[in-house]
Amino acid sequence: MVLYRLIFIFMPVVIYMAFMWAPPAAILGDASRILYFHVPVAWVSVVAFIVSGVQSILFLVTENRRREREYMAYNSAAAGMVFTILTVITGSIWAKLSWGSYWNWDPRETSIVVLMLIYIAYLSLYSSLKEHPNRGGISSVYLIIAMITMPFFIFIIPRIYSSLHPDTIINQEGKIHLEPAMRITLFSSIVTFTLLYGYIYRLMNRISRLEIKAEEKHYDI
Amino acid sequence: MQSRIFKNLRKDFLIEFRNRSAVNISFAFAGITTLSVSLACGGATLSPQIHSVLLWIIIFFSGMSGLSHIFIREEEERTSLFLALHSDPENIYLSKLVFNIILFSCITALVTPLYLFFMQVVPAYTVYFILTAASGSLAISSITTILGAMVAKAESRSSLFTVISFPVMIPVLWISIKLTSDSIEGGAPPELRSLLFLLAFSGVIISVSYLAFKFIWTEQ
Repeated sequence: MVLYRLIFIFMPVVIYMAFMWAPPAAILGDASRILYFHVPVAWVSVVAFIVSGVQSILFLVTENRRREREYMAYNSAAAGMVFTILTVITGSIWAKLSWGSYWNWDPRETSIVVLMLIYIAYLSLYSSLKEHPNRGGISSVYLIIAMITMPFFIFIIPRIYSSLHPDTIINQEGKIHLEPAMRITLFSSIVTFTLLYGYIYRLMNRISRLEIKAEEKHYDI
Repeated sequence: MQSRIFKNLRKDFLIEFRNRSAVNISFAFAGITTLSVSLACGGATLSPQIHSVLLWIIIFFSGMSGLSHIFIREEEERTSLFLALHSDPENIYLSKLVFNIILFSCITALVTPLYLFFMQVVPAYTVYFILTAASGSLAISSITTILGAMVAKAESRSSLFTVISFPVMIPVLWISIKLTSDSIEGGAPPELRSLLFLLAFSGVIISVSYLAFKFIWTEQ
């Protein structure tokens, strides 16, 4: 799709904007530029998780295209896992620069680690059900149960425990505390990384489709 | 519906009563872990937070050792097909859930007084402490019942159960540890909204599990 090919133009532009065009933040200086990579990968981790969950719900409630939905849920979780690892790495670098240590078990740090653990658990469950005929059904239910625990992490626990993490984009005031150039760069980066995820996800789905076709052909022979 | 649930529950209790190995192992595990922790601490003065962390680690691993058993037994003894023919998935889920809640409440009722006795801990807010233990146990039982049904169908069950339970259980452990620490320490008046969080969490998990259980139990 042409839309996804736009990342070949957008990505270099976003990298240029992040390092050259956007001004450094007041206290952190140039170290704050990690914001343009950390926030988008965190966003994509959650998007991939939601896509996985939605595909799992569709797998359970619809009768058609079930095999396709099963690998679409799996592929989104596998792509999301990579983005979650990138979020943890960029987040810990940022934590070291602003708080002095790589890991503090801040509620926001914990929530992304939990998301990573959910992905690991889902992929482990999926692989251990390799021979089971109801593999798609069981792993879909796990993803749905995991998905309903996420709002507790994202919205409730950070309000019970105090956090050092800067305000998220979706904050209680509903305001974004960034200069216009920084805001444009951040949103461009979020769009670009979302397209990157879409591009990778589409490629993974095509590979799975080809694998299934090859498998079916093999059985026909 | 109620009679089917009651019959299933009665069957599970009878089987457990005849062959007490699994329940005995769960209780022995809980007791031995509590004694080992108190022996290792050897009368050291620990902060309320450390007490709370140790208590919930013991409760968590006691749950891991016994709560998936109820479904694994059906698969190992090859009775799951007969059970599926006899009862609706919803009835099976509710009976197993009630069984796990009763079993885990007993484990918590064993571990908590033992821990308080050996570690010489006196909670400042006793009622709040008991309510936290009860709500935390309910939340853990509700999660482990549905996850136990999943691992019963998979390979390498015991290790997989811990791997898939831990991420979903973290909110419960996190809040329970904080509430237990507050109730041991005293000071500020107890926060009821955190207790409500545990109950709401259990309610959400039980509702979704009730709706989704048939997708695990019957092959699609």
